[in-house]
Amino acid sequence: MTRILDPNDKYYIDNPGRVQAIQAEMHKRDIDVYLGSRIRTMSFVMDTFCPWRSYLVIPPEGQPFYFTFVVDSMRVADETWVDEDHVLAYGPMGGMEQVSAITDLIKDDLGIKKGRIGYEDGISTWTAEGNLSHWEYTNFKEALPGFEWVNAHDIIDGLSIIKDKGTIERFRTASLIVDEGHKAARAALENGGYKGMTETVIAGIAALAMRKAGSVSEWNFAGLNEISSGYRTGLGACTPPTTKEIQAGDPLMLDFHSMFKLALGDHSHNYLIAPATKRQRWHADNFVAIVQTVLDNYRAGTTPGTLAAIMMDFAESRGCGDFIQPACEHGIGLFGDEWRIGAVVNPDLPYWTDQNHVYSENEMVVCAMQYAAPEEHIGFRYENDIVIVKDGCEILSKYPLGIEEIS
Amino acid sequence: MEDKHVYLSESWRDEALKRLQAELTPEKMNNVTTSMSNIYKTCPDGVEHFLFLACEDGKVTRVETGTGEPPEAVFRIIGNYETFARISRAELGAQRALMTGKLKLKGNLTKALRLAAVSDRLNKVLAKIPTQY
Repeated sequence: MTRILDPNDKYYIDNPGRVQAIQAEMHKRDIDVYLGSRIRTMSFVMDTFCPWRSYLVIPPEGQPFYFTFVVDSMRVADETWVDEDHVLAYGPMGGMEQVSAITDLIKDDLGIKKGRIGYEDGISTWTAEGNLSHWEYTNFKEALPGFEWVNAHDIIDGLSIIKDKGTIERFRTASLIVDEGHKAARAALENGGYKGMTETVIAGIAALAMRKAGSVSEWNFAGLNEISSGYRTGLGACTPPTTKEIQAGDPLMLDFHSMFKLALGDHSHNYLIAPATKRQRWHADNFVAIVQTVLDNYRAGTTPGTLAAIMMDFAESRGCGDFIQPACEHGIGLFGDEWRIGAVVNPDLPYWTDQNHVYSENEMVVCAMQYAAPEEHIGFRYENDIVIVKDGCEILSKYPLGIEEIS
Repeated sequence: MEDKHVYLSESWRDEALKRLQAELTPEKMNNVTTSMSNIYKTCPDGVEHFLFLACEDGKVTRVETGTGEPPEAVFRIIGNYETFARISRAELGAQRALMTGKLKLKGNLTKALRLAAVSDRLNKVLAKIPTQY
């Protein structure tokens, strides 16, 4: 049954208003119909989990039409706010495969025979972004002669950059859920509990705690709950858990992910499994101080480039500049919206974060820092959802910053 | 020998309605209210034909055949005369014809799939009509 939107719900999002804002922007750009294909677009508009290849056809006015693989269309119709007649399916049948179904809708049902189509092109660092593929573009173009195709993903990107109250509330809850994962992991590790425990098991312990607290997914495409121990902590910022057993003397990095109403909880916390060496403690103290310095400097009006420079200067002053990676955040939004900061395509390095992007109030990022000394078999990672405010930032995971030694 | 009805003729249409109403109870039709127009391309007489079927609360209420534009229907299925004829002779399943692209469906696929079994029941009744193609 179609979801009824309740403006009094603390997690309420004005989804019809979002569609109207997109349509207003389409009108400004003389775009007659918008064909969305990215996961972030589905999340932003449909406000439900859309994991299968989906398309969103946004007409100049009225509700959007959503297409997904037929196996999932009824579930989406049951969960989204868009009415059932606007949730459509494609499938392996004559006239019902993606290109026929969507072009028929545009030409026959919407009556748009020619004009300008906005679509979503580009590139991303993660595989699942969902830009229109070359095959799709070529075949849609052939099936819709007389249309001019305009890359217009920045409409959605621009409208989704400042988070509304309901979205921020969802992220607050998602982050508190992640904290439950960290509490459960901490309890499982202490008092020798780590002995014989593998990275995969600690990932599962946290996942169960987060699910009990209301998370529906560990969402992260790079390995769900990412765990590294020992030398693996120095290998970089993607560590899907392995069956490696956690050992005494290991550094340990726990990067947990929760999803609550499409908001993405993401918090990394680090430990030293006793006995820690003085050198390990020095690295750990460096990292905590660097993280605190960066967090202290977020505010509306600053830029990614400024923060990176502050971070690097501070690390250099402590003699650990060689170990810190020169960036301190990635973008975040509802499911599918990751990585790039800002909405404008950076002309110097297209589809990478513009280092001169100026943060605004109620913009969100994942503050993300990576410290790695692979030769010394140690590294740390920090991630935390933050909301930029006028004079600072709101840190959403409340799990205390620090690197404890546990035994 | 039983008289044969010319496919899509008035007598075939009347026989189809009679048999569908007699053999398919509302329960067998899942009490569905829907309609469907089959559009026949490349017919032997060179003219496009249609077969229109409507059900109300599971009862088949209308069967119409003709040429030109068919009545408005919830679903439209488009294909060659020979494909539909093979389905009516039970030589080819309607689902298989759709999934190999021999037939093209227009309408809400999610709703159409819920009617797949009902559609098969209709076709099985139609296949039993002594027909001259």
